[in-house]
Amino acid sequence: MADRPVLEVHDLHVTFRTENGLVPAVDGIDFAVAPGRTLAIVGESGSGKSVSSAAVMGLLPANADVKGEVLLDGRELVGLPADELRAIRGNDIALVFQDALSALNPYYTVGWQVAEAYRLHHSVSKKEARRRAVELLDLVGIPGAARRAGNYPHEFSGGMRQRVVIAMALVNNPKVLIADEPTTALDVTVQAQIMRLLADVQAEFGTALVLISHDLGVVAETADDVLVMYAGRAAERGTVRDLFHRAAHPYSLGLLGAVPRVDVPPRPRLATIPGTPPSPGSITTGCPFQPRCAYAERVGERCVTERPELTPRPGEGDHEAACHLGRRPADA
Amino acid sequence: MPDELLRLDGVRKYFGVRGAPWREGKAVRAVDGVDFVVRKGETVGLVGESGSGKSTLARVATRLLDPTAGTVAIGGADVTKVRGRKLRPVRRKIQLVFQDPQASLNPRQSVGTILTTPFRAQGVRPTRAQLVDLLRQVGLSGEHLERYPHEFSGGQRQRIGIARALSVQPELLICDEPVSALDVSVQAQVLNLLADLRDELGLSYVLVAHDLAVVRQVASRVAVMYLGTIVEEGPAAEVYSAPAHPYTKALLSAVPVPEPGAERDRIVLSGDVPTPIDPPSGCPFRTRCYKAEDVCATKRPVLEPVEGSTEHRAACYFPETPTL
Repeated sequence: MADRPVLEVHDLHVTFRTENGLVPAVDGIDFAVAPGRTLAIVGESGSGKSVSSAAVMGLLPANADVKGEVLLDGRELVGLPADELRAIRGNDIALVFQDALSALNPYYTVGWQVAEAYRLHHSVSKKEARRRAVELLDLVGIPGAARRAGNYPHEFSGGMRQRVVIAMALVNNPKVLIADEPTTALDVTVQAQIMRLLADVQAEFGTALVLISHDLGVVAETADDVLVMYAGRAAERGTVRDLFHRAAHPYSLGLLGAVPRVDVPPRPRLATIPGTPPSPGSITTGCPFQPRCAYAERVGERCVTERPELTPRPGEGDHEAACHLGRRPADA
Repeated sequence: MPDELLRLDGVRKYFGVRGAPWREGKAVRAVDGVDFVVRKGETVGLVGESGSGKSTLARVATRLLDPTAGTVAIGGADVTKVRGRKLRPVRRKIQLVFQDPQASLNPRQSVGTILTTPFRAQGVRPTRAQLVDLLRQVGLSGEHLERYPHEFSGGQRQRIGIARALSVQPELLICDEPVSALDVSVQAQVLNLLADLRDELGLSYVLVAHDLAVVRQVASRVAVMYLGTIVEEGPAAEVYSAPAHPYTKALLSAVPVPEPGAERDRIVLSGDVPTPIDPPSGCPFRTRCYKAEDVCATKRPVLEPVEGSTEHRAACYFPETPTL
C-alpha cells in the first residue's frame, strides 16, 4: 500500500466571476497524491486541469471563488491568510510552469533567482543562498553550474531554462511538486532529458508529483495514477494501467483512439471524437460529454438529465468512472 | 520528370546576410544545402526539432522566401527567379496551410470573404455554390459563410484555412504544423480530413511537423532535418521501423508512447542543438552523436542509400544497419 497522501483535494470548485456571469471552471473534483508518487491530470483545453493546479497553489486571480478542501499534510490551504500561504508556497509545495521564459525574470541572473527562492524561506546569508543555488543548478544537470549561475535567462536554451525553473522549484525541498505541462514547449529529445530529471529527483527526495499534461505518451511513461478531466469534472480516475488497459469512460477511450503512435504502423484512420470540448458552464445538466458521446443513445435520457458521479468499477480496486453506461465501452 | 510537383536543388537560406552570401560574417544558416523532391500522390513528412530549418524550407518551397542559393522548381518549371504577379500561376499549384489558424485568418473578414480572396488573386469571381462546395469538402457547411473566425473553434478554423488553400485547386499543399495547436481529439479529425482530401482530390502534401507520431500516421515518405540539412529520408515505413541515422534513431526513441510499462531502448541525447550560426564542421550531428569518430569532423557526409534499400538514404559515416 502507498503511504498516506501528502496532498489531498476534496470537492474542489472554482468559479470565475466575469462580465458574462459566473463561469464554473472546476466543478467538484477530488484527488490525492502520496510521497514519491506521480498523479497525472489529463484533459484537453478548457477541462480545468490548469485551473485546478493554480487553485491548489492559491494562485488564482481575485475574481475566482475557490470552494472545497486542499489539505497539505493535513493542513487546510483554502482560505488561509496570504502571508501564511506565502510561507507554504514555494517551500512545501512548488510549481513548475510550462513556459520557462516567462517564469524567469530577464533582469536577474539565474543564480540570483534560485538563491532568492531559497532566501524567501530560509534566513541565511547571501553567500549561503548562492551556494545552495549552485548546488541545485548542478543537481538539475546544468554543466558548469558555478559559472552558469552568473548568466541571465536569455543566455540559456529552452531546455536549460526549464532546468533552472525546476531548480528554483526544488531549492526548498518541497513535499509536493506541481508540474503544469513542463515539457510542452520543448523538443522531444529535450523532453526526454527533463522527464528523466523529474523521475531522478522524485526517487532521491520522495517528492510527490502532480503532472498536468495533455500528452498521453508522457502520462503513460511517468504517472502512477491518472485523473481524466472533462469540462471541469472528473471523467475517470485510476491507476495508469486502469486508464490505458481498461478505460471505462467513453471520453478516455476516445482520447486513446485519437492519439497517433510512433511505435506501431499507422492505422487506416484515427478514431475521432465528434465536435469540440464545450466551453465552461455551457452544459449544466446531465453528463458534460453526452453531446459528443457515441454511447449516450444506448443509455438514453439519463445522460441528458442526470449527472453521472464517479463510481467504482466492480473488481478493479480504486478504478472509478463517471458514466451511466455502467460497463466498459469496449464491451458495450 | 512529369510527375515531380516540387523539386529543390542545393537550396540554402541564410538570414542576416544581405546580398552577400559569400561574405564572412554572422549568418544564420537556417537551410544549408537541401535537395528535396515531392512527386504526385506523395505525402512527405518533413520532421525535425525547433531550429532544424523545416519551416524555412517550406517557405522557400512556396516562394515566400527567396533562397540564398539553389533552385526551386514547381511542376517542372524553374521558378527561383519568378517574382510578383508572375508567381500567381505558380501559386495555383502549391498552397500553404499555416500552424496557427487564429493568426492566419483575418478576424475582420467573414469566412466568405476569406475564401473569395484566393479566387480574386487569380482573377476569378467565385459563385456562392463554389464557396459552399469548398466548405463541404472540409466538413463545414454553407451556413458558415457569413460567420467570422472568432465564432469557430480551433479545429474549425484550421478547416477554414484548409478550404482557403483548396480554393485554387492546388496539386500540392504544404502544411506547416497543421495540428500542433489543436487538442488531441480535434487533431485526429483534421488528420483524417487531410487523408480524405488526398483520396478524393488526388492531392499531394508536404507535412512539416515536429510530432513524429503525427507524421507516421499520414506520411508515405519522410525526411528528417537537423541543423538545416536532411540527414535521412525514405519511405515512412522503413525510416520508422529501421532508422539508419543515429539522430533519427535517438529522436524516435525519445517519443513517449501511450503504453504503460512499454520496453523502450531510449537514447537520451546530451546537450542541445548547436547554433546554426556556427554549425559543427563535418557532420552537423557529431557533437551529440553516440557514434561520432574523428572522420565525422572532417567532411559533411552526403545522403547515400541504406544497405538493402534504394529509396531509403542517410547522411552518416556509420549508419545503423537494420537488425533482422
